[in-house]
Amino acid sequence: MKAYIARKLLALPLILIGVSLLVFLAIRALPGDPARLMAGPEATQTAVDDMRTRLGLDRSLPAQYADFAYGAVRGDLGMSIKSKLPVVSEIGERLPYTIALAITSYLLAILVGVPAGMAGAIFRHRWPDQIVMLLAIAGASIANFWLALMAMNTFSVSLGWLPLLGATSWKSYILPSVSLAVLPMAIIARMTRSSMIEVLSQDYIRTARAKGVPAVTIYWSHALRNALLPIITIVGLNFGSLIGGAVVTESVFNWPGIGRLLVDAVRYRDYPVIQGVTLVAVTGVVVMNFLAEMLIAALNPRIRFD
Amino acid sequence: MKSSSLLAIGVIAGALYSPIAALASTLNVMQTEAPRSMDPGDQTATYTAALLDPMYEGLLARSSDLTLKPALATEWKSDDAGLVWTFKLREGVTFHDGTPFNADAVVKNFARHLDPKRGLAASGRLRTFIDSVTAVDPMTVQFKLKHPYPAFLALLTTGACLMVSPVADAAGTIGSKAVGTGPYKLAEYKSGEYVLEAKNPNYWGGAPKGVGEIKWTWTSEPSVMNMALQTGDADVVSPLPPAFAKQIDANPDMKLNKSEGSAVFWLALNTKLKPLDDVRVRQALNYATDRAGLVKAIMQGYATPANSPLAPVTPGYDKTLASYTYDVDKAKKLLADAGYPNGFEMSTIVQEPDARLGEVLQAMWAKAGVKLDVRRMESGVWAKAAFADPVGKQTDGTGSVVASWSSGVNGADLQFRPLYYSASAAPAGANLGFFNEPKLDEVLDKAASTLDESARNALYVQAQKIVNDEAPHVLLYTTQDLYATRANVKGVWVVPGGQIEVKDATKN
Repeated sequence: MKAYIARKLLALPLILIGVSLLVFLAIRALPGDPARLMAGPEATQTAVDDMRTRLGLDRSLPAQYADFAYGAVRGDLGMSIKSKLPVVSEIGERLPYTIALAITSYLLAILVGVPAGMAGAIFRHRWPDQIVMLLAIAGASIANFWLALMAMNTFSVSLGWLPLLGATSWKSYILPSVSLAVLPMAIIARMTRSSMIEVLSQDYIRTARAKGVPAVTIYWSHALRNALLPIITIVGLNFGSLIGGAVVTESVFNWPGIGRLLVDAVRYRDYPVIQGVTLVAVTGVVVMNFLAEMLIAALNPRIRFD
Repeated sequence: MKSSSLLAIGVIAGALYSPIAALASTLNVMQTEAPRSMDPGDQTATYTAALLDPMYEGLLARSSDLTLKPALATEWKSDDAGLVWTFKLREGVTFHDGTPFNADAVVKNFARHLDPKRGLAASGRLRTFIDSVTAVDPMTVQFKLKHPYPAFLALLTTGACLMVSPVADAAGTIGSKAVGTGPYKLAEYKSGEYVLEAKNPNYWGGAPKGVGEIKWTWTSEPSVMNMALQTGDADVVSPLPPAFAKQIDANPDMKLNKSEGSAVFWLALNTKLKPLDDVRVRQALNYATDRAGLVKAIMQGYATPANSPLAPVTPGYDKTLASYTYDVDKAKKLLADAGYPNGFEMSTIVQEPDARLGEVLQAMWAKAGVKLDVRRMESGVWAKAAFADPVGKQTDGTGSVVASWSSGVNGADLQFRPLYYSASAAPAGANLGFFNEPKLDEVLDKAASTLDESARNALYVQAQKIVNDEAPHVLLYTTQDLYATRANVKGVWVVPGGQIEVKDATKN
């Protein structure tokens, strides 16, 4: 186990180097020229060339990457081309908002998804199950973006109950969290249902029932604990898709997180910001996956790492 | 486990409270994009210019009747050739950081643009015609131009020529922290959320008339703009997407404002590519275009069909020019004369927001036998493809580009030269179809050195005729500038082209 953790920790920097190189090359392979975008359509070619020199984009790719990597190691991700602020402070200012949104969304997804999935399993093939499954299918297939706009129109514009934009009070969290939670909620509900169904058919549950253990104890204490493993796996491994969802949700709700920062950065080909945000997001995903694996191992001693 | 959940709670609690609450004395303005810089000399976007406007001033300013008026300069004169310009500066002006405004500050402001090493985004145009800027005495400056330039005074009111504090510029902070001389100064810039501007108590013009604070936010989502206006999250939205105009107009709590704009939309034809090198083919495409239909379909009627490469607000515009009527038979005949009785195939590249424009053109031109392949592109990709050189466009098979241009009230030269002058052929400039017409070059050069306004405008009428005859573009329409406010907002206006002016706005 210890050796496994050590190996994982050693692999982390290698993963980050690989990812940073990939991101660095991928955004430079994108068509579109930051110097042209910065200088504007009315700029002469000379002005665009001057801008390119100023941004250091006229240097060779290895030189640019070396600069980026050396800076990143020292905690300096460069300056945003657009806002002229250090990328580290741009991300630092936005990251708490994204993390806060991610946590509220996941809590919501788990608090609704797990009981819903359990209900589906317990009342299998009866109407509660059918409702849960219908909602789960809808939740997994509905466009996040559309849902967000509908929710805004209903709860902010028509009813006036909730703030429309930004992060100004606890109420601001409700609409973005819900619209971000819908997809993981649906996935968690389905996973919980199928894994509960499997657990409930096991011999030890039948034995417990025969012994007269109350249904509540069976469901919550015996079955759920064993059904938890796949749920944790889903939660841990789906962190990446949550970041993806945040890009859309944050843009629609003017949420000051890194998702919106990334969208703006891509539009202006703000290379340092794209690199920085991607690096931070990938680190988050890798760390979350690692934590999920550790948690699974801790909960299920039968899982061996070697 | 415990410490990580504590951390999470702390993070949420920290994020929950934002310091700015909505105040009655705050004017909330929402635009379509985030500011690109706090330095007016390092950006060229209309919406950034609008946001910077309350904080910065130039030597001259434009009033709401669109005439030029003194600002940081009180008077000016030029020699007979229009080459040497002398400006008397306003006394007793200081920048927001306390730096005095004087000839030295003006010289430093222009020196940074004339220095190619700085590579500022807005410098390019100034470098083409300003030779030098010198201080005659502490409150007098003199500009030497390389050649007469009719748009010179108008340009002094725009981004590149707005005065930034030379101290802040030297410190390298001007890009993220605005320091000008305007009636408002920067209070807070949260790059992900808003720009907040507060009244400048030391303004040379006396206490500002407008609201206490101006708060700028932005969204790229048109329906969010509309909703923000409904909920009162925004007092002003600019530009208003035409799709929402009727709904806003019908609501007594809101005001829809529309005025003649200056953005001319067109489709630049690649004159180096067969069969578009044939003027008859280019004319045929013009005849095959139902401009009134486009205005209705794309702009919900909030635009004017184009009959000239100039917008109606641009000095020199000739409204009597006969534009191409919608005449499919004539288009077919011209195509047959050119040797394409069965039409031909060509492509056009459009940015995502203009995609529908491309599709409507596709349907219109199909009636004349022209098969248009519409290639939608994300803006960064489009910019690269649009500014490709002839070889690049040949390789990509780019037959035409859908785009728009807005020189507005700053003069016809700023519309003609970048778009049609032979030396502006892409990638050097925005002559995206590589149009090359020595006759036009000559007229434009002559107009640029003609100081008499009516003689100059007569030359621009000639230029409009040449462009219409040679048809390097399919001219589509000039948009109206649309913006909306809550009904309690007064004193907002828009410079043709879309720059919203809110520094004198009030809200009750």
